[in-house]
Amino acid sequence: MLEDEQVALFLAARLIARGNKGTLLLTVTILAMVFVNLIFLPSIIAGVVVLFNQQTIDYSYGNLIVEPKEGELRIADPAQLVQKINGIPGVVASTPRYATGGTVVYRGESTSPLVTAIDPDREREVLKIHTKVLSGDYLSPADTGEILVGETLAGTSRPGGDSTPTLGGVTVGRTVDLTLPNGVTRQFRVKGILKAGTSSVDSAVFITRRDAASMLGQADPANAVLVRTETTGNDDAMRLVLMQFGVQEKIWTWEDKSADFLESIVGSFGIINAISTGVSLVIAVVVIFIVIFIGIVYRRKQIGILRAIGIGRSIIIKSYLFQALFICTCGTLAGGALLLAVLQFLAGNPIVFPGGPVAPSLEPGLVVQSVASLYAASLIAGYLPSWLTTREEILDAIRG
Amino acid sequence: MIHGEQLTKVYGMGSVEVRALDGVDIEIAKGEFVGVMGASGSGKSTLLHMLGLLDRPTGGALVIDGVDVTRLSEADRERFRLRRLGYVFQDYALVPELTAQENVYLPSKVRGMTAKECILACGSILEQVGLKDRAGFLPGELSGGEQQRVAIARALVNRPALLLADEPCANLDSRNSVLILDLIRALNRELAQTVVMVSHEDWHRKYFDRVLFLRDGRIVEDEYAGDAPGTA
Repeated sequence: MLEDEQVALFLAARLIARGNKGTLLLTVTILAMVFVNLIFLPSIIAGVVVLFNQQTIDYSYGNLIVEPKEGELRIADPAQLVQKINGIPGVVASTPRYATGGTVVYRGESTSPLVTAIDPDREREVLKIHTKVLSGDYLSPADTGEILVGETLAGTSRPGGDSTPTLGGVTVGRTVDLTLPNGVTRQFRVKGILKAGTSSVDSAVFITRRDAASMLGQADPANAVLVRTETTGNDDAMRLVLMQFGVQEKIWTWEDKSADFLESIVGSFGIINAISTGVSLVIAVVVIFIVIFIGIVYRRKQIGILRAIGIGRSIIIKSYLFQALFICTCGTLAGGALLLAVLQFLAGNPIVFPGGPVAPSLEPGLVVQSVASLYAASLIAGYLPSWLTTREEILDAIRG
Repeated sequence: MIHGEQLTKVYGMGSVEVRALDGVDIEIAKGEFVGVMGASGSGKSTLLHMLGLLDRPTGGALVIDGVDVTRLSEADRERFRLRRLGYVFQDYALVPELTAQENVYLPSKVRGMTAKECILACGSILEQVGLKDRAGFLPGELSGGEQQRVAIARALVNRPALLLADEPCANLDSRNSVLILDLIRALNRELAQTVVMVSHEDWHRKYFDRVLFLRDGRIVEDEYAGDAPGTA
């Protein structure tokens, strides 16, 4: 049986080596493009998911979120809890927060954003919001009567410039009125405008916990403690560690908190991805099929003659399968090289999404799946036309 | 070598039935050089296709080299063509991407010969057809006569029991036609190679030991012709 394969390989090698180079180059180029298409878009989508995940950790939750015990609205002793958590191995830092609703008014424009009271210094160790000050300055621990406003919430003074309720273009140095749910209203000077690319920052306001304590009439108000751990990815394990170290409050991972949002994003992108992959594969099958089919139709008479002199059908079919595999291998290699070049280019010139620059995330599983799909497509496209053509009567083939 | 009885081939063309072969009895001995002649549509190519196992008769019996070929499966017919038949087509029918040598040793390779054996067999047969020094040339680099000689070498490389030639000089000028006919005649004499050749050129008759004339699917004449020039 191996003799058949040797003859098929011999025929395929000669047909490729001495056949039309232009057609071969064109086919390989098309396959390379298909290969890039199969991998590039999913890599970008994976990169966007990585970006969203990182944003969630850096600007919204940290790695872990500690919330009040069951049935309680506030953390009883946040200072002690933070101290305890900071002493746990694997924890970088933690920061208490008090998040509540509120009403902000500026020159008659009224909105009801999320109001988050923070300890500015501790926040710097857990989140990266302080790096996203668009104008003005970040809060200092000693600040009173100062507020940070998200860029989306600040809005623009241009009529019709905002699609959601905003403060109509408030800027640094202006004064806004903030009313908390207990009815206490106080004036705050806008110290900075934030832009992090995530709604939990861009559509919110931030004040110090000192101001919140004063307005709420509570000492040390906190309804969450955000925790930054040394590594991301072992968050469930770290949650257990915190519990083992006696943290009795409810503990969530950032994934728990953003599960619905992430599932929605990944699900939507998954559909786009599946359609794109399906279309690419169909293109691959059609291209290889057309090229090989045209080649076979062109050689129909020759195939008939080969059969007439005793060359078996299986040898002829296998020779076309070998040709398809060769074209596929060249296309995959060329596509791989092209993909690496594109990734290299994007490393220097990243695509900027609302949340920041996106680096394509190349997953080995995806590469293996794409290569396997392309080879499967090539085998089908190589086999089918050669099988069909060698099925016809020898004399019909010879007569063309 | 060949024994055919009441060979018929009927093609259905709508409601009309065409009898391409209409009860042909044929007997060819080993080592004979038989010419098959006749007008277009007389059935000579159909007969050659039957003998070459490229087509199946509608009726009748056909035994070649002791094998009842009408009973063979498709795979066995394939093997029979490879091992016992050699076929020369009028338009050479070489693989353009293979050199003369590669075209010739392709059937040997399929038979399972080693590369060394293939090259040896191929070298010997190319020498016999006078193309040893053109072995590395592609068909496109050879003249029509040279290509047909390569095709003859390919047909003979497996030492077939029967060589079938379908108007091998149809695309050649008279000088090259003579070269090809001389070659086939010489191979027939030197190797005792049985040859059946279709031709419509009257002047080819002098090369044949025997000529079968067909008309309307029947053999109407079976005569022994003179020897080729220069042969006894």
